[in-house]
Amino acid sequence: MQITLGGLVMKNPVAVASGTFGSGREYARLWEEGSTSQEPTPLSVLGALTTKGVSLEPWSGARGVRIAETASGMLNSIGLQNPGVEAFCVGDLAWLATQDLPVIVNVCGRSASEYAQLISRLETEEAVAGYEINISCPNVDCGGMAFGTSASAAAEITALCRAATRRPLIVKLSPNVTDITEIARAAEAAGADALSMINTVAGMAVDAKTRSRVFDRGVAGLSGPAIKPIALYAVSRVYKAVAVPLLGMGGIRTVVDAVEFLLAGATAIAVGTASFTDPLAAPQLVNGLASWCRDEGVHTIGELTGALS
Amino acid sequence: MAEASRPEASPATRDCTSGLAEAFVSVECALPQCEDCTVVAQRFSERAGIGELTLAAPLCAAGVRPGQFVHLRLPGLEAHILRRPFSVYRACASAGTITLLYQVVGAATRHMRSLSVGAELSILGPVGSGWEPGRAQRCLLLGGGVGAAPLFLLAEELVARGVALCLVLGAATRELLVCEDAFAGLVGSARCHLTTDDGSRGFKGRTTERAAALLADEPYDYIAACGPEPMLRKVAALAAAADIRCELSLERRMACGLGACLGCVVETTRSNQRACVDGPVFNARELCW
Repeated sequence: MQITLGGLVMKNPVAVASGTFGSGREYARLWEEGSTSQEPTPLSVLGALTTKGVSLEPWSGARGVRIAETASGMLNSIGLQNPGVEAFCVGDLAWLATQDLPVIVNVCGRSASEYAQLISRLETEEAVAGYEINISCPNVDCGGMAFGTSASAAAEITALCRAATRRPLIVKLSPNVTDITEIARAAEAAGADALSMINTVAGMAVDAKTRSRVFDRGVAGLSGPAIKPIALYAVSRVYKAVAVPLLGMGGIRTVVDAVEFLLAGATAIAVGTASFTDPLAAPQLVNGLASWCRDEGVHTIGELTGALS
Repeated sequence: MAEASRPEASPATRDCTSGLAEAFVSVECALPQCEDCTVVAQRFSERAGIGELTLAAPLCAAGVRPGQFVHLRLPGLEAHILRRPFSVYRACASAGTITLLYQVVGAATRHMRSLSVGAELSILGPVGSGWEPGRAQRCLLLGGGVGAAPLFLLAEELVARGVALCLVLGAATRELLVCEDAFAGLVGSARCHLTTDDGSRGFKGRTTERAAALLADEPYDYIAACGPEPMLRKVAALAAAADIRCELSLERRMACGLGACLGCVVETTRSNQRACVDGPVFNARELCW
């Protein structure tokens, strides 16, 4: 089940998507308790954990309504609320250091230099296995998706981050672009070790009763099973366009979903919104994927990547 | 989640009636667990559009404290990917059951109404902070509509401790006062004040008007309320004016129910707090509204 994602060794290809999992502490407690249908499971069953987005300074996040359910999906506008890198390092990261799994820190900033500064700060932390560069969040005014929808801005940030670290650097791509392969190539050329995709799809909710926008910023990010076909297509196209490995995500809930992403070209996959429906979805996927491979006669999980006939 | 649900309260009962009081002094809550459970009873009032769903959920029943809720996943609603939070209305540790109160307002609650005895569903719970009346001796509890739910376990514990308490239950019409019998049976009709907007039962007017009159008559040292937000704002103002400690159970849209996603935050004087695990019960003075 082991794979390597841009230099990051994962014991299995299952990660969790940034923002859906906090820093893992809340889920770890639940997993360790077990349930009526699941044995107690340590957090380290995951191939990797991607943290919630971290910025240099504390961010208070979006005001007003932050989530809304949609058909087979949900919209969120959390706005990258986080306590800032210093509080993150002494709190969640110190705790994660005691867990036996690779930690990918999702980094975000309001300017290219902020990303690089943030990485420089995190370079002093041994618990960090790699970085996911968030240039694709639709829920902040500065930074976020503004960088991920321009090939030149994506390249500039990737290059600055690359200069700041030799650790695995994963650039997270937005689906809200005309041609995702153009951004993917730019990030690869600027030094990305891997690409993760997709971030949420820009969407909106309206309250007919009050004739108002549900979310203060208007826009929010769509996730869940509703976006799986969009994500699969993006993975499939980018797989053909670049040589670096892909971390696929977008509506993955079941073992078959995960296998579909691998076949489309992903080397690893992440469980996101599914953890809200079922907080034990990720460990169940890890176990289920191993059984699936045994049943299907798959010897190494890497055989599946891009293996569409 | 714009369903009917609100984190309603529940008392952390060890057995059905005596639960108790030490629980209030220390605030440690049981950690939530995923529990598969089955429906053991369903009562529905067609006129009110409000139902009581009783589940065999022994882990939750044994651990729940007043004010906590369960995050419910319904079978057969796969396109609705988010769980729904419901306050635990009643709990019986010895029988291993919890009861939820729900009002039909959307797809999920319509579906809840269709569940029969034996139906299987999944809960995550008990979740959240509970009420903390501390050593209060004279308590006033206000429930608006199905917001009365999280107050029942609290009332049960206060009664078990011998604390003096007064209740105000309000609804738009008499049909909607579905909890009247349960609360009146617990505290006695004389201590259970009723209000309806149309005057079809009890005092004609709002719970907060009745509460203002009660506060003018007698001293209280703790107020707990759950209901629509405009009502809660008025309760907070009444409590502040009378300098009485006041806790409010808030309703927010929720995703994870574990404190990880930050989808349900409430602005407080201690910055953003998560309604799911830091709440749903908040000290009224800390709310920024």
